[in-house]
Amino acid sequence: MNDTTLRPAESSAGRSAAAFFVRYGLVIALVVMELGFAIVEPLVLSPGNLLNVLQQTTYIAVFAAAQMVVILTRGFDLSLGTCVSSVSVASALVMTSMVAADPGNLPSALAMGILTGLGLGVAVGLFNGFCISVLNVNAFVTTLGSFNICFGIATTISDGRPVFDVPKEFSELMYSGTILGVPAPVIIAVAVLAALHLLLNGTVFGRSLYIIGGNPRAATLAGLPSRRYLVLAYVLCSVLAAVGALMLTARTGSGEPNLGGNVTLQSIAAAVIGGVSLRGGVGSTYAAVLGAVFVTALSNCMGLARIDGYIQQIILGCVIIAAIFVDRLRTGAR
Amino acid sequence: MSEQAGTLLELTGITKRFPGVLALDDVDFELRHGEVHVLFGENGAGKSTLINVISGTFAQDKGRFVFRGEEVRHLTPHKARVMGISPVFQEFSLVPDMTVDENLFLGRERARFTLLNKRAMRATARQIIAELGFDLDPTRKVGTLSRAHQQMVEIAKALLTDVKLLILDEPTASLTEAETTKLFALIDKLRAQGVGIIYVSHRMGEIKQVADRITVLRDGRKIATVAADSVSDTELVELMAGRKIDVLFPRIDHRPGERLLDVRDLTLVSGAVREVSFHARAGEITGIAGLVGCGKSELVRAVFGLEPIAGGSVSLFDKEVSSFDPLAMLRAGVCYFPSDRVAEGLALARPIRENVSMAALDLPGFARGQVLRRTEERRAVQEIADRLKLRPAQIEPAVGRLSGGNRQKVVLGRGLSRDIRVFLFDEPTVGIDVGAKLEVYELMKVLLDLGAAIVLVSSELPEVLNLSNRVYVMHRSRMVAELTGADINEPAVLACFFREEPAAAAA
Repeated sequence: MNDTTLRPAESSAGRSAAAFFVRYGLVIALVVMELGFAIVEPLVLSPGNLLNVLQQTTYIAVFAAAQMVVILTRGFDLSLGTCVSSVSVASALVMTSMVAADPGNLPSALAMGILTGLGLGVAVGLFNGFCISVLNVNAFVTTLGSFNICFGIATTISDGRPVFDVPKEFSELMYSGTILGVPAPVIIAVAVLAALHLLLNGTVFGRSLYIIGGNPRAATLAGLPSRRYLVLAYVLCSVLAAVGALMLTARTGSGEPNLGGNVTLQSIAAAVIGGVSLRGGVGSTYAAVLGAVFVTALSNCMGLARIDGYIQQIILGCVIIAAIFVDRLRTGAR
Repeated sequence: MSEQAGTLLELTGITKRFPGVLALDDVDFELRHGEVHVLFGENGAGKSTLINVISGTFAQDKGRFVFRGEEVRHLTPHKARVMGISPVFQEFSLVPDMTVDENLFLGRERARFTLLNKRAMRATARQIIAELGFDLDPTRKVGTLSRAHQQMVEIAKALLTDVKLLILDEPTASLTEAETTKLFALIDKLRAQGVGIIYVSHRMGEIKQVADRITVLRDGRKIATVAADSVSDTELVELMAGRKIDVLFPRIDHRPGERLLDVRDLTLVSGAVREVSFHARAGEITGIAGLVGCGKSELVRAVFGLEPIAGGSVSLFDKEVSSFDPLAMLRAGVCYFPSDRVAEGLALARPIRENVSMAALDLPGFARGQVLRRTEERRAVQEIADRLKLRPAQIEPAVGRLSGGNRQKVVLGRGLSRDIRVFLFDEPTVGIDVGAKLEVYELMKVLLDLGAAIVLVSSELPEVLNLSNRVYVMHRSRMVAELTGADINEPAVLACFFREEPAAAAA
């Protein structure tokens, strides 16, 4: 661990400059990036494009926030992407089959579809949380396993094909609809993220996640119910992923067994870039959102600048590693 | 050889800091050719940091490192091995799924035409093992071996190269009598060949048996280097435990009241504590003294619910405790302060405020059910910080930024965050400076006046002797004495440590 109090050579001015960059570095990088790409492609800064970026951000922000919850506890969730796929397929199947059976009862079909999706999220989270917290299997192995399980569920129940004919009303509810001109995904994302923020900062459960991630043994000595809270953290993560999955399903208008392909990596990338520490105990909803904005803006800029898709992958990979490096500098890892 | 008498390794002014701890403070150390030099000291005295510096694991912050007459800079573990410095650590560096001979040649495999020359390696392995007189099968997988046998593999591995300096960290901890004898014969042989050996051990008997010279470390400082045949066991322990002339202990008025904690015949599953009874009363400090590894720390940890209990009973306020877990104990009014604050006490990345309040989040003063009361929390923690004279008196910086003394205050602050009557202090002043030590002692005094019972577990003998009203002495997992009044003195405690030594050696 680095300890600034032990480095007399470091002036307080230097330290506050460093603190400034730690705090606002990403915002500065974001602005510089936008302006830089704008020279190559002025469209980057057009209002239409910026609005587009914000709309896309809503999805990644929800996934990044989900991932952040478990990263806070020194874990992570590799199964997030395929959990998204399975929720998408399962909820779409429930809705289409209920509508097919009783076209008149649309509201209960939508409600059942949403509940199925969220319920599946709870189940995946309970499974991950139980294995990690109670059976003490590490997060990497557990969620790699459930990654496969969820992938298997998604492809089996859908026969590997998209589930079409999801009711239009569902898409209106969670995608194309607006309230006072604000698109539904933005409203849902803002509501979910605000609730998460309150949960993390205003409850004993939220506080405990930070302490468990900061030092699990200290949490035990302080009498915190670490095991229970750890299970709940994974449940929360998967439920948030399920919310994002429902939003994406509404956008595509079908249940997609491959919906979550890139989501795991994107969510971890956004969280880490935003400043959520892989060492646990450090991070916030704000950080997850900021990271999501950055990741979305980066791929949007690269797309408009007509950078080849595979090159984009390389750049995103480098950015993730750079972000982890910055995190190590920040937490002063040895 | 003319080298024989000369200096092999010379360290001057070695200083190494870790966050909040000065692990080595201006330490000088000299090792001659053909010498066995024992490092002696309590846990945390700096022994392992020193051998890690010598073997290239840590770089010193300051100081000169001269090996065979040449100054060495930027030492790495690999460079150290190439130079002939071979460490054998307590934690093994073996690959369990590989055989003994594969492990021996790990990283320096012999090859012929790029293919591994397995036969040559196996032959060399057999030869070395035979030379050592170890009972080892080179074709066995290391994972299937006992700890003692793994230890032998480690030693054989260290000797495979051209060793000039061998480091043995508690090598006999897992060896049987016969194996130990073989190891000592080996040490004699190496000594005759001019190899310098640094030997870390707590065991009095073997230290006197193998050592030429002994260097005693305490709190990261070199206390003394003495010739082994000119010092008695008692003198050694005194050097190790130390007479702190620089700390003045406050006068404490003990007013023993009712028994708050009563432990009877406690035995732990791990065997670290066997049939131990003791009690603590309100208004007095009850000291528990003992050598490192005697079980005194495990004893109080068990009371707080951190070690599984095999038998015996614990009563609090005359009620027998039925479920041992930290939350239940906190609610009952017992708080344990761990010796290793970084590992167990603190979430370094989190603010002071959260670190102080984390053991009280079940109380209505800090949270209404699940909902945190952040204003009340801030006010309460600020008050505690002021009482403990935290400097600076801010509660929002991350704990990782604080010095050792302030970190300890944050941990102790937890005891003030709720109604605690029984305080279990485990090595409360390890790694903190003199000023902070005094403040910890003053805090104990305040707590006593408020009617608390304090249990003080410490390896620092002067601390226990000066602060306690009654002193229990633990030795080899058992309680061997309870001292009161004028009997609380150093010779009386030291006598307990050695009383059973001959009997145990004969067994």
